[in-house]
Amino acid sequence: MRVRRVVPAARVATPLILVWLAVTSAAAQPATGARSQGPRTPDGKPDLNGIWQVINSAHWDIEAHSPEEGVPGGQGVVEGGTIPYQPWALEKRKENYARRATADPLSKCYLPGVPRVTYVPLPFEIIQTPKYVVMAFEIAHARRIIYTDGSAHVEALEFWMGDSRGRWEGDTLVVSTNNLTDKTWLDKAGNFHSTDLHVIERYTPAGPNHIQYEVTLEDPKVFTRPWKMSMILYRRLEPGLQLLDYDCVSFFWKRTLGK
Amino acid sequence: MNRSVGNRIAMVAIAATVLLAPALALAQSSAQPYVPPRTPDGQPDISGMYEPGWIGQPAEAPIGAPWRPPQRTAPGRTIGPTDFGAREAAEKDSSRAQIKPSTKPMVIDPPDGKIPMQPWVAERRKLIYENQDKAEHLDPRVRCLQAGVPRANTPVYYNSYQILQKPGYVVIVYEWNHMTRIIPLDGRPHLDARIRLPMGDSRGRWEGNTLVVETTNFNDDTWVLGHGAIGEGQPSSSATSGHGIVHSPELRVVERFTPVDGHIINYQATIHDPKAFTRPFTVAFDAMVRGRSDHQIFEYACHEGNRDGILMATGVDIDPTQK
Repeated sequence: MRVRRVVPAARVATPLILVWLAVTSAAAQPATGARSQGPRTPDGKPDLNGIWQVINSAHWDIEAHSPEEGVPGGQGVVEGGTIPYQPWALEKRKENYARRATADPLSKCYLPGVPRVTYVPLPFEIIQTPKYVVMAFEIAHARRIIYTDGSAHVEALEFWMGDSRGRWEGDTLVVSTNNLTDKTWLDKAGNFHSTDLHVIERYTPAGPNHIQYEVTLEDPKVFTRPWKMSMILYRRLEPGLQLLDYDCVSFFWKRTLGK
Repeated sequence: MNRSVGNRIAMVAIAATVLLAPALALAQSSAQPYVPPRTPDGQPDISGMYEPGWIGQPAEAPIGAPWRPPQRTAPGRTIGPTDFGAREAAEKDSSRAQIKPSTKPMVIDPPDGKIPMQPWVAERRKLIYENQDKAEHLDPRVRCLQAGVPRANTPVYYNSYQILQKPGYVVIVYEWNHMTRIIPLDGRPHLDARIRLPMGDSRGRWEGNTLVVETTNFNDDTWVLGHGAIGEGQPSSSATSGHGIVHSPELRVVERFTPVDGHIINYQATIHDPKAFTRPFTVAFDAMVRGRSDHQIFEYACHEGNRDGILMATGVDIDPTQK
């Protein structure tokens, strides 16, 4: 009886899977509905190797904001426009904003955290192998090692750059990051999170030189619901370009020691 | 026609020589050198997870009289100035049992093991040793600065390594202070000489199974070696730890990473800096030992945890908004 039920189920399942695949790949690729164009690695994945950088003002404020001296204005990268803070958290964000000049963790040369490191307006380099996607950043020589080997998150630790595990969903690299400290901010405007933050990033190639970057933030301690940012990562195409090293800590010491 | 045949014979002869040369070399040497597997793009495959080699090895022979540690250590314990207790920790870790201890200086050339410092470098070292209470003479490591080259490769208990390879690149990921070296293998020229970086600018090539890396474009923020603290009261002339050896921006380092048996990567580095040293000198040691394949490089957030250290050294509180 069991066997007879299983066999027709499998027959039915095949077209259903095809439909599901078509739907999900269409969702991931709204522009073309097809596999992404651009280079591929020998294991058939989109080749994200290279140097990338955002062109936006999310580093200063991820929400829409007017220009100020030293701060380019911006239309915001938050889907729906506004971060869904809990009332107490909105108050705290206002406090953070008021003292942002000294309280921004980046002004102390601390590691920027995830996802902020992605949209600090300095280049970063992706080194992609089948089991690891390493991201090396100019800012503070920060680094992420994203395991794409099917391994699980580490448990109950706290890192400035979190613990990242990735997997490919079609042509999209999906990265889950947790184990984050609450000492990093999301931008220079005091937007913040708790240690419960769970970051889900989606890197989808949009042609050979662009990545559609979408990031969902879940943090039930601070936000009323998960929310999303999206932006484009641009490939740096200058011939001979290589990653340099904005070694913030060494500048701090030179300033402090007066030499 | 003749010409074409002649060419073909010449080509066969060249091919035979090229093919036979390594075989002949193998036949002549008694111990066959280790031949690592190849990556898909044909590089010798040294990728993987590594732990530091033997941690207690002296970096150099002292230029003066050897230092005797103060008598307050218990009899029978031999704790040198370079240890930090790491030797005992390493001995307890059975996975590291294959690492052979060495008491010889890392400096193999000059043969006396002494670092050929220009007088001003020896003077600076003396100043550093005598002013350890001043922030500007602290080990750059303590200030959470990057280690520079070759120092990044000296075995220390707070480091481990992941080597990645992709077509045209070798990438060395260091746990220590999240240093990353992205080393192109395509023979491109070095950066403009006006660009100066603590980790320099590295260019690599494979010579047989040895990865040769030439690094230039340094600033003078880093120390050349230095893998241990000084002992209290120790004169700089007795140092064996490499502590306090500065260099000039003219530093050029040629490193050789050689996988010797699938587990150990032997390391040699020749340090060229005529402003700081009277002649080039070479260090050699087993730098890396293959670790477990599930080893993970953890975050080394040094500066982020150094608020108290900075406050003590400088009186500056970098984070007054925190409790």
